[in-house]
Amino acid sequence: MQKVFIMGGAQTDFERNWTKEGKGLLALLKESVSDGLAAAGLTFDDIKELNKVNKVGCFVGNFIGELYAEQGHLGALVTMVDKALYGVPTARYEAACASSSAAIDAAFSKIALGEYEVAVVIGWELMKTVDSKTGGDFLGHAAFYEEEGKGISFPFPKLFGKLADELIAKYSLDENVFMDSLAKISAKNYSNAKKNPLAQTRKWFMDYEQARHRGTPTNQLVGGRLAVSDCSQVTDGAAVVVLASEGYLAKRGLKNNPYIKGWGHRVAPMPFQDKMQDSLSSPYVLPWTRQAIEDAYRRSGLTVQDIDVFETHDCFTSSEYAAISAFGITVPGEEYKAIQDGIITFEGSKPVNPSGGLIGCGHPVGASGARMLLDLYKQVSGAAGAYQVHNVRNAMMLNIGGSATTNYSYIVGR
Amino acid sequence: MSIRTVTVIGANGTMGRNVSAIFASFGNAKVHMVCRDMEKAKEAVEKAVQSVKADSIRRNLLPADFSTLLDCVRESDLVFDSVAENMEIKGEVIGQIRDALPQDAYFCSGTSGLSITKLAEMLPEEKRRNVFGVHFFNPPYSLNLCELIKTNYSDVNKHQKLREYLSSCLHRSVVEIKDRPAFLGNRIGFQFLNEAMQYAQRCQDSGGIDYIDSILGPFSGRSMPPLVTSDFVGLDIHQAIVDNLYSNLASGDKEAYKMPDFAVSLVKEGRLGRKTKGGLYKTLILSENDKKRLVFDIASSTYRDQIEYNFSFAQKAIHHLARGDYQAAAFSIFNNESQEAEICTEFLLKYIFYSLQASLEVGNSTHDADVVMVHGYGWCPPQAMLEWISSTGMLHSISKERLPKSFQEIFDIDMLLGVAQKSGFDYRRYLHAKK
Repeated sequence: MQKVFIMGGAQTDFERNWTKEGKGLLALLKESVSDGLAAAGLTFDDIKELNKVNKVGCFVGNFIGELYAEQGHLGALVTMVDKALYGVPTARYEAACASSSAAIDAAFSKIALGEYEVAVVIGWELMKTVDSKTGGDFLGHAAFYEEEGKGISFPFPKLFGKLADELIAKYSLDENVFMDSLAKISAKNYSNAKKNPLAQTRKWFMDYEQARHRGTPTNQLVGGRLAVSDCSQVTDGAAVVVLASEGYLAKRGLKNNPYIKGWGHRVAPMPFQDKMQDSLSSPYVLPWTRQAIEDAYRRSGLTVQDIDVFETHDCFTSSEYAAISAFGITVPGEEYKAIQDGIITFEGSKPVNPSGGLIGCGHPVGASGARMLLDLYKQVSGAAGAYQVHNVRNAMMLNIGGSATTNYSYIVGR
Repeated sequence: MSIRTVTVIGANGTMGRNVSAIFASFGNAKVHMVCRDMEKAKEAVEKAVQSVKADSIRRNLLPADFSTLLDCVRESDLVFDSVAENMEIKGEVIGQIRDALPQDAYFCSGTSGLSITKLAEMLPEEKRRNVFGVHFFNPPYSLNLCELIKTNYSDVNKHQKLREYLSSCLHRSVVEIKDRPAFLGNRIGFQFLNEAMQYAQRCQDSGGIDYIDSILGPFSGRSMPPLVTSDFVGLDIHQAIVDNLYSNLASGDKEAYKMPDFAVSLVKEGRLGRKTKGGLYKTLILSENDKKRLVFDIASSTYRDQIEYNFSFAQKAIHHLARGDYQAAAFSIFNNESQEAEICTEFLLKYIFYSLQASLEVGNSTHDADVVMVHGYGWCPPQAMLEWISSTGMLHSISKERLPKSFQEIFDIDMLLGVAQKSGFDYRRYLHAKK
């Protein structure tokens, strides 16, 4: 097995609404792929050369472009970006909100096995093509649609509202302490996003008081005890990350690029109730999420002590809450302590989501995994600008699909 | 620096209440919203809450009327003037508060173009060092530009601290501007808007208003066509801004700010735009669910149905933009010799050169022009526009060929191209694939 390095990449500005700009998926792909390659120091001619010897591939992560953008065969679509991509092996990978992590997984394998020298991961989703209610129904396909999605208005906030209920019940938590902890997560992620020039919410106002007061006209309840401030917002966007072999970096005279040190991939039972039934015997509310992270630690030979920054899948505040113990930052049941003590804030000892995460930076679902990997790369290579955490050697991400059904974790370091 | 208490005078106006919300939210300051009467003040509080979509700031918003003005001012760290754009009215208000204003408190005016120096001179000498122009754009929640204007009286330290507060605490994009008429953003923006109005008059036989708006549609770098924008802003406000520039600019470029006769007449007749249900455009309500938009036909001085123009250059540009082919879109516009493409090209080129020139006169660098147009108007910034046109390799030649000789006599094209910098902004997001 060979080491898999990251050459760089780019994300689009998640504030943008491509439908309002009158632009569709081709414009999004052209822009993100050309920007991603340029940021990695590659040209389309480089891709052409690599393709002559079958040493490059494109790996597309997208959840449900068939519905949002009325387009299937999304791997092949990449050939329309530039003629240099004619003949390049491309395919689309789907695992709901973890789609681009599945694409990273495939890309990683090809390089680790020595088959390819360069692998271009392209995660994207256009979500502003439909109104929020229709979009909410589309997203319901990431759950067991027949029972958990169909005919239910905004199914996912409700599922993660149930996760909040389960956390309180499992650990006998004080409800106020728990809900205030969720408000702190929201305020933290909005605050971090202010430092990120590509974050969807960078101009929005949110503070702890606004997040804490749920059920008001400007912070309505949307899923059980969760309100708008507890949710990530839908947006349009793409993120491109270029992976490469050690040999290819050497050819280009590159040294010290960050590499993927470990990975974990576990899939939990799909229906939420089955997940909860399955977790009764575990100290963790999401044991397969924890397992994916443990696998990444094991493969990298690292522990939570070695990780300097985390990017996690805060589709809702309750999912970031559960991730805190899954990462091993606290034992399960004591996540609120890490929040109260400021451990996961930007200045804390274990910063979580310095980018703003899904709540602050935005969540174009098929792009989020690639966006996280790109952010790990930026943090490890000191290129995160205003949201750079000091002295990052190793960084970890957790990207989940559905109600924490597909769980992907990667560790990037030097 | 800590700004704990703010008084906004004239908080019933759109800017006054929206600015109150910015101080109360990002700044977490207690804000006295001083309005004409308490009822208006209470309404303003609710509208302010809505403007930042956060009920949590209601705790910071205190309705007030002029009967308690002095008490509010006495306990304020910053007093913000948002009363009518009229030197006399502002003078009266300043006269009222001049003694109550604490020695160290800031006095900031939100004026969109009156002289800050003259306002400062209405205060006693020892308080003039605390006077600044702090010009927000509407709506400030989404347009976060703040033009910061100091005067010769301003205290350097206070200026630095205010700048820091506006950018770090209130999350504003701050640009320091000299105390000149209309500052920078409106000087650039209203050159474009007013010349669009002048061209509408000149091209009245080709259609006039909707003709020009179709030539300068969203595909050319603004989400809203220019004359729709003026109608939205209000023709009276448009007039106040361009009149101010026309009377106070010395240089030869002032003609761009002369409001055309037809628009002056509309203002006289009270047809001010959207707020009066008629101006350059007019919405006709046919039934509960059926509306029709009419346009003012300059040639016949009547409202008529809008014309669906289908200029081939625009259609091609839109087709390419929709697919992300920006260079091809640029060729569609700049390599086309139809009358409409030439007008579009002329406007975009003038926009670039006016911006560069104005930024040198009023700002500190050409980058300031980009910042004000992005964060104050949401338009494609001039230097990014320049990069887009440059992608055709034709920038220099079309600048020389398409710009009127009279323009080139006033603006030194080569010098301005020489001082232009690489824009920190990306033009792509501002070029919309829409008519």
